[in-house]
Amino acid sequence: MVTLIRMAMDTEALPGRSMAGLLYLLQFGDSAFPVGGFSFSHGLESAIQLGLVDGPKTLRAFTETTMLQAASSDGVALLCAHRAVEAGDIDELIRIDRMTHERKLNEETRLMTLRMGRKLCELASGMIDAELPRDWFARIKAGGTPGTHPVSLAIALGALGANRFDAFGVQQYGVANAVLSAALRLMRISFVDTQKILLDVTALAGPAYNRVADATIDEMASFAPTVDILAAVHVKGHVRMFMN
Amino acid sequence: MISGARELGAYQDEPPQLPSGSFGKNALLRLGFVPGPHKSLLRTLHRRAPLIAQQALYWDEEMPGLPCVSIISNAGGILQGDRNIIEIDMAADAQAHVTTQSATRIHEMDANYASQTQLLTLAAGSYLEYIPRPIIPARNSRYIQATQISIDPTATLIYSDIMMPGRKYYGEGEIFVYKLFSSTIAAARPDGTSLFTEKFVLEPEQDDLTRLGAMGGFHVFGNVVVLTPKDKADALFELVQPVFDAENEIAYGASRLPNDAGIIFKVLAMESAPVMAKIREFWSEARQITAGHKVPENFLWA
Repeated sequence: MVTLIRMAMDTEALPGRSMAGLLYLLQFGDSAFPVGGFSFSHGLESAIQLGLVDGPKTLRAFTETTMLQAASSDGVALLCAHRAVEAGDIDELIRIDRMTHERKLNEETRLMTLRMGRKLCELASGMIDAELPRDWFARIKAGGTPGTHPVSLAIALGALGANRFDAFGVQQYGVANAVLSAALRLMRISFVDTQKILLDVTALAGPAYNRVADATIDEMASFAPTVDILAAVHVKGHVRMFMN
Repeated sequence: MISGARELGAYQDEPPQLPSGSFGKNALLRLGFVPGPHKSLLRTLHRRAPLIAQQALYWDEEMPGLPCVSIISNAGGILQGDRNIIEIDMAADAQAHVTTQSATRIHEMDANYASQTQLLTLAAGSYLEYIPRPIIPARNSRYIQATQISIDPTATLIYSDIMMPGRKYYGEGEIFVYKLFSSTIAAARPDGTSLFTEKFVLEPEQDDLTRLGAMGGFHVFGNVVVLTPKDKADALFELVQPVFDAENEIAYGASRLPNDAGIIFKVLAMESAPVMAKIREFWSEARQITAGHKVPENFLWA
């Protein structure tokens, strides 16, 4: 009996990923994972206030842009950091962390990546019985490294044995989910619409991965001048629910 | 350094004309400014065509001691296979203004690519304005630009780029029909401590630049970096009121750069004129705060 069940599971399991491995990804990709992501809208708050996003169509476009920008910048940082985690190369992690931080050219984006990165690492160091998350959190606390979100995510997921492809998926899902969760609180839109958008845009993550899979850390790039100006408007805004 | 960039991978074929980087395609302009008793001087001038500078003029009525140098190209623009290098070296306490004679036209290409490397070095207390006129990337052009800045914590740099969508009013109009526009701006302290990096790689055939959040419906992108001590950067940041005015088709705003490096200011509009006007306004505020003078009215013919 036991043998039969195991055989059935083996034939249906994806190669290289256990059930626990799948559930780790769900846990870290969950919008309820307490790293403070709910405080950030990725510029959506200003976009809605200015009327650039006013319904499902424009919300989908905004979500796609946010995911694409994340893929070519934080996505590259995540993949490179994951490689460094595998190699046990702390110096490389520090270099990646610093380079990621100095490419965040507006202050609310810097605040977001540092706050979420620190929180995520703190959680991981308490949850996962591994040396690297604890060591990295100590470095963040001591000011030895900025503690950006993609590096902390690579360390946490790397410690759990997740591969780069999956880690990238968790990150992309997190970005899309953050924008869409903010939308529910900022505009008139139904759960059906946001969940449909989420289902559709998650299809972008695979192709995005293929474009950056072997990118080196100095290839991090992003181009979103409209979002940058929205961020500037947000910093000086008077009515704000979100921190970016 | 630039030539190894991945985005150039598809464009390694040699032009059927002169080989890439050969004589006439390896322009070098080196400008070195030093302070003097009444005015700063253009002390070093190395030039290798097609980039040329003639002499410093003192045309700025608000800062009569400011040497103004216009970069000229006798090639009529940037062509496939060109490898340009521009170096500007500011000695301690020197001041200078550098611009270009006209828009930089990146011509149509059917082979290879063109590159421009810019090395800006600012010693203690120096002041450089590098405000070139817009770049126009024509159909099928492939262009990579890398700007490396080394700046002392007490120096001030005002640097701008204006990117046109193409030859907007040529033929049926070119709006983002170039192949590649890659830009990197990286700044560090003289000891090598890095401050910030901005990199974008635009490939309109693969990425829709007009998507919401990127260019949106706008056509012209202006980008200004002001690197200056923190107290001045803070004062400048306070002055800038960001605007997103869809009706009048202009949007702009400033952000504080990481590591207290300074301010980055972005402008989006439909034409070059409003972008240049807005940059001039911001530049004047930046000059007022960092050098104590405003920018004079633009020349009637400019």
